[in-house]
Formats: sequence, C-alpha cells, structure tokens
Amino acid sequence: MIGILGQAALSLAFVSAILSTWFYYRAAQKGGVRSETLANALFFLKGAFTFFASGLLVYLIFTHQFQYYYVYNYTSSDLQNVYLWAAFYSGQEGSLLLWILSSFLVGLAIIRWTTPEYRAPVMVFMGLTQVFLLSMVSGFPIPGWGDLGASPFRTLASEMSDSPVFRANPDFVPSEGSGLNDLLRSPWIIIHPPVIFLGFAMMTVPYAFALASLWKRKYHEWIHPALPWTLGANLCLLTAIFLGGYWAYVTLSFGGYWAWDPVENASLVPWIFGMAGIHAMLIQKKHASSHKASIIFAILAYVTIIYQTFLTRSGILGDSSVHSFVDLGLYNHLLLFILVTGGVGFGLLAYRYRELPEPKKESPILSREFMMFSGAMVLFLSGLVIILGTSSPILGRLFVDNPTPPDQQFYNDWTLPFGVLIGIMTVVTQFLWWKRRDAESLAAVLITPTLIASVITLTAVIWVDMRNVWWMVYLFAAVFAVAGNGQVMIQMLRRNPRRIGGTLTHIGFAVLMIGFLGSGFDRPMVDQRTRDYNRAVAAGQVYDDDGFRVNQPIEFVELEKGKPRLIDGRYMVTYQSGAITERNRPGEQEYEIVFEDVRSGRSFVMRPTVYPMLSNSSPGAVEWTVDPDVRTSWFSDIFMYVAGSALVDREIERMNRENPGHMQTIDQLGPQMADYDPDETRIRVRRGGTVQIGEYSLTFNNFTYVDEAELPDNSIIGVKADLLLVHRESGESVQIHPAFTLVADDGSQYAFNPPVAFNLPGEMAGQEDETEYDQGTGRQSGTYPEANGALQAAGSVRFLEVHPDTDEIELSIRGVEGEPEREWVLLAAEHKPLISVVWLGTFLLMFGFSVSIIYRWADQKKREALEKEGRDPEMIDEDLRVDDVMDDDAVAADDDYDDETVDGGHADSNGDPQEKEQRPHPTELK
Amino acid sequence: MRPRLIFGIAGIVVFTSLVMFNFSQSISSYVCFEEAATMDNDRVHVIGTWDSSQPASFSTETMTFTFFMTDENGNTRRVVYPRPKPNNFEQADQLVVIGQMRGDTFVSRDMLVKCPSKYNDAINPELSELQ
Repeated sequence: MIGILGQAALSLAFVSAILSTWFYYRAAQKGGVRSETLANALFFLKGAFTFFASGLLVYLIFTHQFQYYYVYNYTSSDLQNVYLWAAFYSGQEGSLLLWILSSFLVGLAIIRWTTPEYRAPVMVFMGLTQVFLLSMVSGFPIPGWGDLGASPFRTLASEMSDSPVFRANPDFVPSEGSGLNDLLRSPWIIIHPPVIFLGFAMMTVPYAFALASLWKRKYHEWIHPALPWTLGANLCLLTAIFLGGYWAYVTLSFGGYWAWDPVENASLVPWIFGMAGIHAMLIQKKHASSHKASIIFAILAYVTIIYQTFLTRSGILGDSSVHSFVDLGLYNHLLLFILVTGGVGFGLLAYRYRELPEPKKESPILSREFMMFSGAMVLFLSGLVIILGTSSPILGRLFVDNPTPPDQQFYNDWTLPFGVLIGIMTVVTQFLWWKRRDAESLAAVLITPTLIASVITLTAVIWVDMRNVWWMVYLFAAVFAVAGNGQVMIQMLRRNPRRIGGTLTHIGFAVLMIGFLGSGFDRPMVDQRTRDYNRAVAAGQVYDDDGFRVNQPIEFVELEKGKPRLIDGRYMVTYQSGAITERNRPGEQEYEIVFEDVRSGRSFVMRPTVYPMLSNSSPGAVEWTVDPDVRTSWFSDIFMYVAGSALVDREIERMNRENPGHMQTIDQLGPQMADYDPDETRIRVRRGGTVQIGEYSLTFNNFTYVDEAELPDNSIIGVKADLLLVHRESGESVQIHPAFTLVADDGSQYAFNPPVAFNLPGEMAGQEDETEYDQGTGRQSGTYPEANGALQAAGSVRFLEVHPDTDEIELSIRGVEGEPEREWVLLAAEHKPLISVVWLGTFLLMFGFSVSIIYRWADQKKREALEKEGRDPEMIDEDLRVDDVMDDDAVAADDDYDDETVDGGHADSNGDPQEKEQRPHPTELK
Repeated sequence: MRPRLIFGIAGIVVFTSLVMFNFSQSISSYVCFEEAATMDNDRVHVIGTWDSSQPASFSTETMTFTFFMTDENGNTRRVVYPRPKPNNFEQADQLVVIGQMRGDTFVSRDMLVKCPSKYNDAINPELSELQ
C-alpha cells in the first residue's frame, strides 16, 4: 500500500518536473510572469512529492518492511538507527533520490536568489536534469513498454518473480533483510554521500547558467551569479573526496587515501574541470576574454559528472573498480542522459559560437590573463588524462581486446608534471594578478620564492636521500608555490584579508602536493631480517625453490604473543592480547599491539580490529575484513592492521564446524560438548612435525612397530608413536611411546589405546632432582621417584587415531597446560610519511574556497544592489577599492589595475605594460 | 599563422600522441595462462576462478599465499601471491591475478577479487534455503 503511494508520488513528481520545465521554457521564451509563477509552483510540487516519497521510503526502512526489494536488500532489523537512516541512500535508487533532493534544494536557492532575467532560462536546464534523474527512479508506467527506471518501491515479489518461493506463495515476506554491507557500516556513511550529491547538484548551476547565457545571448553577466555556485560545488566535491579518502584510509584496508579508482576519479575530474571553469570565469570577469572557455568548462564539469555516473553505474567498470555499481537496467537511460546534457550543451555552443565575443588582440605571455588561461588549460588537460585512464574499458579497445585498467603509474606519471606546471604557474599568475609587471620586475619578485624553494628542496633532498630527479623538480615546484603564494598572501592580509581566498587555495594545493610526495616514501615496517631479505629482493639476488628470481618484498611480520620484536629499527612491538570483544559488530575481534619506541622510550598501544562480514557472506563461507589502526603524528603516520591470526583461524574453524552445510572434513576433531574435559588437549601432528603446547614442544618423530609379544590377543595391527616432549625453557625432554592397537573381537573392531603416563620435563624434573637429593639425606625413603612423579607431576598421552592419508596422528594429552597452538598475529604495519600534510593541504583548500565563496557572494549581492539603483554594476570594483586603504606601493590590494570596461566589448589589455608599470614595491628592490 | 597558434597545435599533437602512446603501454588485456607464459611483461592480467579442489594455504615461512586458479580456457596453474589471502577470496566469482608466469607457476604481484556485488544479488540465507 505504502509502496503504491510512494510509486505514485514519484510518478507525480516526474510529471510535475516535466510540466515545470515546460512552463519555465514558456516563461523564458515569452517572458510571461504567469508561466513562471506556474512553473515555480510545479517545481515546489515536484519537490514536495519527492520529499514525500523519500519520507515513505525512510518509513518503510524503519518499519522493516522486507517485502520491498530496496528495504530487503540494504537493511536488516538489527541495524542501528543511524545506519537505517543511511540505508536510504546506500543503494543505487536511494542515492539517486538523494541527488534529486539536493538538486531541488539548489533549485529553490536559484529561484530565491537569481535575478529575474536569468531565473526562467536557468531553471529550464535545472529542470531538464531533474526530469532525467527522476525518470531513473520514477517507475513511471509507460503503456506497452514497462516501467521507466528502477523505482525504490519495487517489491521483492516483482523483482524475483521467477524464484520458486514467490511462485509458491506470492505473499511471502522474508522475516529478515540481507543487511547493509558491512563495509558501509561506518559513521562516515552519514556524511560522505550527502556531501557528494550536494556537490553534484551545485555543479548543475554553472552548467545551467552557461546554457542560459548562450540561449539568451548574454555572454558576460552569467559568470557573476555562477561563480559562487561553482566555488560551492568545488568545495563540496573537495570535502566529499576528502571524506572518502579519509574513510578509506582509517577504516578500510585500502592501504591509502587514494587509489585512482574509477569511482574516486568520478568526483575528481568534475572538480578539476570546475577549477578550470572558475579560472576561466575570473579571467572573463577581469579581462572580458575567455568567454568560450568559461562556457566550455561549465558544460564539461557537469557532463563529466554524468559521464562518470554512467561509468560507475552502468556496470561497465565492473571488472576494474572496487566499488562500482551493477547495472540496474539504467544503461541506456544514463547513456541518453549524457547524450542529451552533452548534446544540448555543445549543440547550443556550436550554434552561437560565431557570436561569442573574442579578444581582438592576443594577450602578451606575461599577462595575468594569458598565464591564468594556460593554468586552466593545464587543469583541463590533466582532467582529460584522468578521463582517458578511467575510460579504459571503452577507449582501451583502440589498442587491445579486453583492455585492463591502466597501471596506477599511468596516472602518477602524468599528474606529476601537470602538478609541477600548476605549482609554478600559480605563483607567476598571482604576482601578475595583483600588479602589472614586465619580465624584469617579475623576475625580481620571483627571486625570494625561488631562493626559499631551492634551499628547502636541497635540504630535503639530502635529508631523505631523494634520488628521483622528477621528485626533486616536483618538490621544488611545490615549495616554490607555497613560498610565492605565501608572500602574496602576507601582503594581502595587511591590505584586504577578505580576498585571500585565491592565494589560500593555491597554498593549500601546494601543501597537498608536498603531502602526495610522502606516498613515494611509504615503507613496510618489518624486522631486520626481513629488511635484509627485501633489500636482496630489490637487488635481484633472491631466487625461489624453482630457480626463479623473487621480485616481491615481504611486508608482514609474524608476532608471537608476548614475544617482542623490533621492527623498522625503531619500534619494539609486542602482541599483547587479542579477543572477541564484539564492540561494534558481532564477532568483532580487537587486538592490542604495544609499540615501544626504543629511541624515545615512549610506548603506545594500537588497536586494530578484525571482523567477519556476516551480512555479506553466506553462512558457508564467511568473509573477513580488517579495520586498521592509524597513529598520526606531524610528519608521518603508522598505519597497521592484523592480516591474520591464530584467533581468526580458530574462529573460521569453529564457524565451519557449526555450520553443518559446510563440513570441512569427515573426521570429527572434538568430543561431544557434554564430556568436554578442559584438562584435555587434542592435537593432530604430522610425522616429523612439532606442535607447541604452552611451554612445551611436542615432536612426533616416527611410528615404531610393536613386538608381536607386546600385542594383546586378537589384535590386527599395532603401532606406537615415538614422541618427544621438550620443555622449551630448560631444554629438558622426555620420550613417550603411546600405542594404538586395533583389536578384533567377535567380528567387530575396536581400538586399544590406553593412556601412557609420563613425567613432565622442566620444572617438574627439577623437583625430582631435589627429591633425589632429599633421598640421599634419607628423609624421603621408600618411595620410588617414578611413582612419585607419576602421582604429582604427571601428564598422560593417549594415541587416539591414525590418519594415513595425511600422515598425521591424533593425540589426547592431559596434564600439559596451554593452548595447543601458538598465539600469533600477522602484523602489516606501514610507515607513511606526510599524511598529516595531505590533510593540512586539504583543509587549507577548503578554507580558501570558503573565503572565496563569501567574498564572491557578497560581491554579487553588491552588484545586484547597484543594478537595482540603476548604476553600472561594474562600478562595484571602484566601490571596493574605496574600502581599501591604498598606498602607492600597495601590491596586494591593487586588484583592479587594469580593470577593463566589460560592456564596451574587448579589453585593451595589451598596451605596453611598461607604460602602466607602477613603482616597484620596496620589497622587490632587494 | 600566428606563432602562438603553431606552438599550440604542435603542443597538442605532441601531447596527444604521448598520452595515447603511454596509455596504450600501460593497459594490457586479460589473457589466459598459456598466453601469459609467452609474454615478457611482468604485469600480465589473467582472469580465472579459484580451484577449490586443490589445497590453498598461506605460508608464514615465505609469507606467500599459494592456491590454484583455473583460467577461462580451463587450464589450472599454481599461483603465488605475496600477501595473505584476501578477505573475500572464497566468495569471489572471479579472480584477476596480475603478474607473470615463472615456469608453471604464476607469480602474482596483485590480485583483484571480484565478488558478487552487494548491490546486485545478495541472497538472504532464508531465501536461498527456500529456493
């Protein structure tokens, strides 16, 4: 019932979206106020329906109505409320709904804050994207064709109508859902997806404005309202990328924050194109050129969002991504979406191309507009390279059949030189941006950052023994960018701190570049022996048993419980404890690994966890996953997880035993629980093998055959085991020979295997020595030492079974304390330098974006206010200048030294720069 | 022609050919073991499935996980992977090993484990028992 209601709401929302877009189109074409009011009303209605449907879906999830496919597939009744809430957008249909809701909110903001002349045409394109998104979840019935898209309100019965369960009983309702993917049960899922979709929704705005400008032939003004939105979209995407990277790093075992995974690239490329667009818009704002670039980048940023959505949701990337979706039957749908958004965008552009304003003269190379435009082009090219790599399943077919994704090296190799270029260009452009300069004066101001960068780079190269020339260049460019932009920022902080957004983002980007370099110096933290081995592997000196060269280093260390081991030449690590704590999930194991820094003497405990992914697994084969622990410090992180342990092995064995459908072997190991004896230890040991039991090692040397005479009557075969029990600490040992005899009796066979008693070596043996000594003094006479030992410190061994197939025997041992197996963990620890620097760079970028958004928003409001008063909005910069207390030699605040009249067409920017050259800043005269 | 335009066009041509060349070098195609044996590349991608009838184990001695994999042509080879068994190994309906053939053994640098997606056809125990 609720499902039908939800379906109806979504269908109505779909219809309202179409109608509202149509009326916006009418309003934009004919300028009717009534059409626009009607369109607005329909737009609100569409939003209301979508919210209502989402509310219903949330209700279905919270009331565990598992007859619905979506509810069944992504939730279970044991989920905590936060994850039930997150389950709303954990699946594909729900995440599309979230995208629609975000777009609706952004649409409201456009209606509220956009000037009337742009409102209707912009809303046409906003509405168009809404129609497409809604069509993918509407389930709108089209007669003779079927339902449109994949509705989140589909029932399980309709989805699995072939299943015998539903053929037998169409009203069958599962009592439990299949649960949320264990990897998604993390607090990060609350925040990460909404931010992404808000970013996607905001990126629609520059697209819509660019198209509206082409349609309405107002090529210049659109950038003013579009700029804060583009900045906002970029801030959202950046935040989402950061959250995703941080999530992957601290709680998933991806091993890092970035892996060039297609889904990660899906939000990176629009971010890069958005950045290129922002720069193009700024040139257009200041210089009245690059109109085409602004429009192209605004279109591209949005189309790549759809394109990457297509790649990740159409199933094309199934082979190459860790988290791509499976095709929901939306393949053609998504393809059409790209074709329409791209087609409309580039079609309109082509239609108006000749009309677009073009600068009459070329700008000189050392002008801010040329440098900035080149920077935007570099961003654009790096985006293209990343798209090329991500599209390998499609574009790779040009070269090979069945193409694989490119190596990560491909991305790294290309982004490195782009990073270098961008780093250097930010500085040059910043210096040109605030003040006109010729080559000489530019060189003069660049001396300081160049010197700083050279000194720091050289120190770093020597310090870390950097050998790679490219890395040196890269490091130099990054430090140069920090120093150069920092210099500009310091000057600006004194003059006009509201405008530091740009320099701040550049510094953030450069800091990020430095941080990325750290990943080149990741190293596994292993003990000295493994380190030597790895060095030999790297030198190509290690060969395996078959005579082949080994090329893989060992990145793990095995730790025995309570036995410290020195890793990385610096940390004494001890596996202290491991237990099933079930803190966050059923079956979760928590380990305590103590790290003691031998240099400083300080120690800390790391607590990685391991857990079975019960909701992802069938009971027969439970998957396990790890949750790493990270210790963060200023310059490097220690990243570690438990890659395997005796405890996990035991749990797997237990699960196998308890699950009758998946018995591992026929021979039952344990006795019935009823007569389980805690003193008894059962072990299996191979001929020649050794098993550790507590403080002892038990070695099974060989079988010894039994004399006929020793055998009881009717015996078929008899065998003895030659066992050696060693007390490891003292080295003392005892030999034991338990027998196993098969006896036939009246047609039935049974085993004759009496327990054999023995004296425990080690401490007990020491006591025996004392006893003997005492005997010597005559105090303890009349007792045989053997008998004494047997009574007080005896163990016994019973030979339970022979397994000829594996050459193993099974023994039951009493009196020897301790677990039969050693407690061990496989420790994977990695030293990761400069991770904190990556986060610092990201925060600076976010902060810089925020400052810019505030400034640009205020700028736009002021502009609109001036327009209302009938003044020339271009006067705004004059107004701003009044705020700044200007010195003659002010560099930083001298923003608009050559602010061209924009309406007048084309900037006359290439007058002789020296003509306008101002007196050099005192600092430049050094 | 303006010099800057010529530079631009030359730059684009050089850039495009470099990128495409590098791209074509860094991708390879999914092959079977027999083809892999003939290839010199040390990042050959082989698709296959785990042969569960033969032993698979992690050796704490060499720190490698050894198992048998059957490729798409039905040939089975021993595969050595230099890390512990991936978490979802048993569940995988497809494995992609990346590395090179050494005699009859495939030495893998990386392994991708493709699982029946959670977004697709996770089947509840209750439902699968009923089916």
